[in-house]
Amino acid sequence: MKDNLKIAWRNLWRNSRRTLITAASVFFGVFFAVFMSSLQVGSFKNMVDNMVRFYSGYIQIQGEGFRENRSLNQSFVAGKSLDSLVHLQKAVTQTTQRIESFTLASFGNNSSPAMIFGIQPEKEEAISGVSKWLSAGTFLQPGSKDILLGKQLAENLGVSVGDTAALIGQGYHGLSAAGIYKVAGLLDFPLPELNRRIVYMNLATCQDFFSMPDRITSYVIMIDEVGHLKKTVASIRPSLNNELRIYSWEDLQPQLVNLIEGKLAAGKFIKGLLFMIIGFGVWATVIMMMYERKRELGVMIALGFQKTRIFIMLVIEAMLIGLIGVIAGIVVSYPLVRYLFYNPVHVTGKMAETYRSMGFEPLIAFGKDTGVFLMPALTIFIIFTIIAFYQMWFVARLKTVDALHI
Amino acid sequence: MNVIEIKNLVKIYNSGEVKVKAVNGITTHFEQGEFTAVVGPSGSGKTTFLNMIGGLDRPTEGEVIIDGSNIWNLTSRQIIDFRMNNIGFVFQAYNLIPVLTAGENVEFIMHLQGKPKKEREQRTKELLEAVGIGDRIKSRPGKLSGGQQQRVAVARALASKPKFILADEPTANLDSVATTGLLELMAEMNKKYNTTFIFATHDQRVMDKARRIITIEDGKILNDEKFDR
Ligand SMILES: Nc1ncnc2c1ncn2[C@@H]1O[C@H](COP(=O)(O)OP(=O)(O)OP(=O)(O)O)[C@@H](O)[C@H]1O
Ligand SMILES: [Mg+2]
Repeated sequence: MKDNLKIAWRNLWRNSRRTLITAASVFFGVFFAVFMSSLQVGSFKNMVDNMVRFYSGYIQIQGEGFRENRSLNQSFVAGKSLDSLVHLQKAVTQTTQRIESFTLASFGNNSSPAMIFGIQPEKEEAISGVSKWLSAGTFLQPGSKDILLGKQLAENLGVSVGDTAALIGQGYHGLSAAGIYKVAGLLDFPLPELNRRIVYMNLATCQDFFSMPDRITSYVIMIDEVGHLKKTVASIRPSLNNELRIYSWEDLQPQLVNLIEGKLAAGKFIKGLLFMIIGFGVWATVIMMMYERKRELGVMIALGFQKTRIFIMLVIEAMLIGLIGVIAGIVVSYPLVRYLFYNPVHVTGKMAETYRSMGFEPLIAFGKDTGVFLMPALTIFIIFTIIAFYQMWFVARLKTVDALHI
Repeated sequence: MNVIEIKNLVKIYNSGEVKVKAVNGITTHFEQGEFTAVVGPSGSGKTTFLNMIGGLDRPTEGEVIIDGSNIWNLTSRQIIDFRMNNIGFVFQAYNLIPVLTAGENVEFIMHLQGKPKKEREQRTKELLEAVGIGDRIKSRPGKLSGGQQQRVAVARALASKPKFILADEPTANLDSVATTGLLELMAEMNKKYNTTFIFATHDQRVMDKARRIITIEDGKILNDEKFDR
């Protein structure tokens, strides 16, 4: 083995320029793939984190059918036993309860449909940091009966902080719901749809409004990391009574899952194409390395080298090129990606607006999961394994006589 | 003592429609310590003949009996090992592994044979000195002249202590000074180690040194003469 390695290594440097160019193409592929994967992993994590924090939480417990119908009749009482069941899970970090429904908001002669959120202000704040969007007035105080409105909604209604707006809707089991509430503050969300529609109030106020004491529509759960999602869901699910359903963020935000999957597929396609081009380049080099030495290899067999030995030598030569490229690619990309992981790029200007309008932090985040490095390295290894089969075929066909006929 | 016994050796090549009888029924034998030239016009079948003796090209018919058994009854892996242990080769060109030094080229064969390091190193040194290039042991083939490369090839062919050495036009790429030098060297090695040498050649100078000359034409032995030299 040591001798095979020695001969293979020296053979590599017979045409050092070609070896270096080939290794450089592998390096480039690995570097590009690592960078691209890191960017994808980072931005998806950022995206999911933002969306999950703001909308759904990682996990939600809802009444059966609420996800489809969003009817208050599918609300439920989150008792102590549910609380303790959820908090028994190690991964669970925070929980909060919500009522999510619809209503009509009006002021004077103006009215507008609105999405109403009954929230637990402190807990909600801890999860979504919603108060950072406050543009006027004060945030919901615990026990307060005031409301917060989306900025655009307030403008459409012509209402400002301190005014009293009316909410009219349909409560639990068809009871009519109506009330007047003082506007404590305005929220300026980056998402226009939210800005136009949202009404926040204390959960208790909301329960009063809809005549559904103690009842909620959504029990929101946050966990320490995405990796624990499936396990947590799976261990809560069997203990729920049969009127309740548990969902992960993927169930609740299928459009986000689609978006990510689409981008991942596109990324895979690009990387696949790149690796295919590199693969053919490497293959061409390997072909040259073998054909130009046909005679030499024939002589080696004549002298007593078994074909397996020749094959091993040739595979080592090719693999060494791949190894040089992969190691160089990771050595260069790792520090870069690591740096970008800890120092994400802050987007400014128009780009930042675009990010905000989609509800994301204006950050280009990077990931440094093992997979980011492992996948390109593995792909290169697979390419060289395929090439090794070609080399095997080449060696099997080598005939000493043909090689020796000059 | 017979080293090689050849019985009715035939080789037919199918190149397209035409069948070429490259070797057409050769029966002969070689003895220990022979210094033999196989001569004949181009295309007469010299290379084919040598390749069949050397286990490089499978005969269409006939037997190559070495040590009492037909080498062509061996598997292809066994033939490779057989070559390594019993036959030394000197080809016209591309003899040496270019990435190994002269010394490593000689040593490698013994390494394949599993000889201990000490013996390998000692024999390498001895052989390279015997062929007159002991001072170039660390040079790669690219840094050696054609004549020097062939000398290394002879040293390497001797390294495995083979029963016989096959040399197909070993002097074809050499100038006359190098040719004379190489011939003298091989004659000397032949005497010193009593190793059988069989050449295929066009070279009059090689024939002048040979103690037996087999003339082939159209794949058949036309003439087989012995000389006292
Ligand atoms: N692999 C092959 N396929 C087809 N025909 C071949 C092959 N090898 C040799 N021949 C033919 O066999 C005949 C003998 O060839 P060989 O090489 O043995 O001659 P040679 O005496 O060594 O010639 P030279 O002196 O030119 O080296 C020639 O007619 C040649 O064309
Ligand atoms: Mg010939």
